[in-house]
Amino acid sequence: MSSAISVRHLTKDFRIGLRGLKLRAVDDLSLEIPRGQVYGLLGPNGCGKSTTLKIVLGLVTATAGEISILGQPSATSAARRRTGFLPEAPYFHKFLTGRELVRYCAQLSGVADADVDAAVEDALGLAAMTEAAARPIGTYSKGMLQRIGFAQAVVHDPELVILDEPTAGVDPVGSAAIGNMIQAMRAKGKTIVLCSHLLGQVEQVCDRVAIMDRGKLVLEGAVEDVLARRDRHVLTVEAMTPAARAAAEAALAAHGATVTSVTHPRRSLEDLFRELVTGSRDA
Amino acid sequence: MQASLRRTLWISRVTFLEAVRQRFFAFLLVLSAAMVLSSVSFRVFDFGHGELKFIADFGFGGMFFFGSVLAVVMTAQLFFSEIDNRTALTLLAKPVSRAEFLLGKFFGAWAVLGVFVAVLASLQGTVLWAREQELVAQAEQAGRIPTTFSFGGLVQLALLQWLRLGVVISIVLAISALARTFLFAVVVGSLAVVAGQLQWIAQDALLRPTDSPVYAAFLWVSTRIIPNLQQFNLADALVLGASAVEDGAVFAVFLSGLAYLAAYLTVGALIFRRREI
Repeated sequence: MSSAISVRHLTKDFRIGLRGLKLRAVDDLSLEIPRGQVYGLLGPNGCGKSTTLKIVLGLVTATAGEISILGQPSATSAARRRTGFLPEAPYFHKFLTGRELVRYCAQLSGVADADVDAAVEDALGLAAMTEAAARPIGTYSKGMLQRIGFAQAVVHDPELVILDEPTAGVDPVGSAAIGNMIQAMRAKGKTIVLCSHLLGQVEQVCDRVAIMDRGKLVLEGAVEDVLARRDRHVLTVEAMTPAARAAAEAALAAHGATVTSVTHPRRSLEDLFRELVTGSRDA
Repeated sequence: MQASLRRTLWISRVTFLEAVRQRFFAFLLVLSAAMVLSSVSFRVFDFGHGELKFIADFGFGGMFFFGSVLAVVMTAQLFFSEIDNRTALTLLAKPVSRAEFLLGKFFGAWAVLGVFVAVLASLQGTVLWAREQELVAQAEQAGRIPTTFSFGGLVQLALLQWLRLGVVISIVLAISALARTFLFAVVVGSLAVVAGQLQWIAQDALLRPTDSPVYAAFLWVSTRIIPNLQQFNLADALVLGASAVEDGAVFAVFLSGLAYLAAYLTVGALIFRRREI
């Protein structure tokens, strides 16, 4: 079976100014994004992530290289019919209600007339936007905009969903909700490409990650493989006294092992925040 | 084909809804309507022409002037709001072709101009009819032949004005597809409308003999690229019957307008296809 996205030797140069100076945004990038996984595309601002996604979607033309989506050449209508996209900081027509926007996107994405109503309600339900769907988009909060953006991206039940900074500017509760939507899509066997600066979330939801810097791929692999330090171990011990600690260190030293640090485990601030404000919505 | 048409119509629908909500549209519509209604008050300044002709010229002049302003500014605004607000990213990432996007914008803007023309033509017809009743009564008392106007001609003229504004929209969309800024599109679009209004001068010059083949070639190309927007000015002939219309003349103008409209939309779609969003 072909990859969800296959990128081979992709290069993109932008011409700048009257003299046409070249700015290389993507430099000989090759990637294979497998199907059915959540794939994180990471990197600092200006590293070429968004440009790569735009080329994949046919919004920008490549200077060199080949891209295919689900086995079909990218930038074709057929490939885009099987793809959903949530752009960074999405903006939608404010006079439309959430339901009208999702319906509009369903029609543009080729959902059959008979299936539109059900598809719209399914997408709104998945994005937890059913209650607010009758309100104009102009009244939505940032988190709701992201969620309605997610709904319009998945309304046609695409096999591949590309999310560009879906949690940018969203509070941790909203961010966690989007994380849940991503997990729900993965459970349905969809491929998700996630571009995000929230590394904690990427670590939690992604199966594989690629890190780009200055247009080049600097690391790619399964999250477990790239994060694990196989030469170190962590023990979590309860009710440890100084005597017990000294005995443990001596026992380990007897086997040639060295204790390099002893600390108290911490929960993340995000976990604490979510625990304290659980149940609150940004509606 | 059917799916493509459906996508185009949906984009047109949303474009129309966006446009009719604009205060700019409401402002120009009210201003133009006021101009048509006020034409009766200004008929003393008829410059020696008949009253109905003055009212018709005043009203249709306002319709074209404000319609052109609306066609240039609103079309450029509708196009650039999609690009600048990045709603185009969301749309074009779906199975929507660039041509469908541009056509959707065109039909949405043209529908708004259709409402504009229909409202003003209705008002114009009402004003002309009301004044015609008074003039007929006066003429009968004085034993003169009354001046009248043609409702059918008014409808034909309104359709021609709508087509003329459609040509302007297609030109502005072609310019917008190439332009990087809203301001550039508005300025060049406005210049194109002025050039279209003055195109007959180049046509006249082309008929005169010249020794310069470069000048002749320039005129020939200019008269082909720039549509003659004056050819749609058939108010005297169609509405007032003041001059005869040659057989097929209205049809020829209609076909010419459609040809320019299709040509500019094709050029716009070809340019837009290569544009990076």
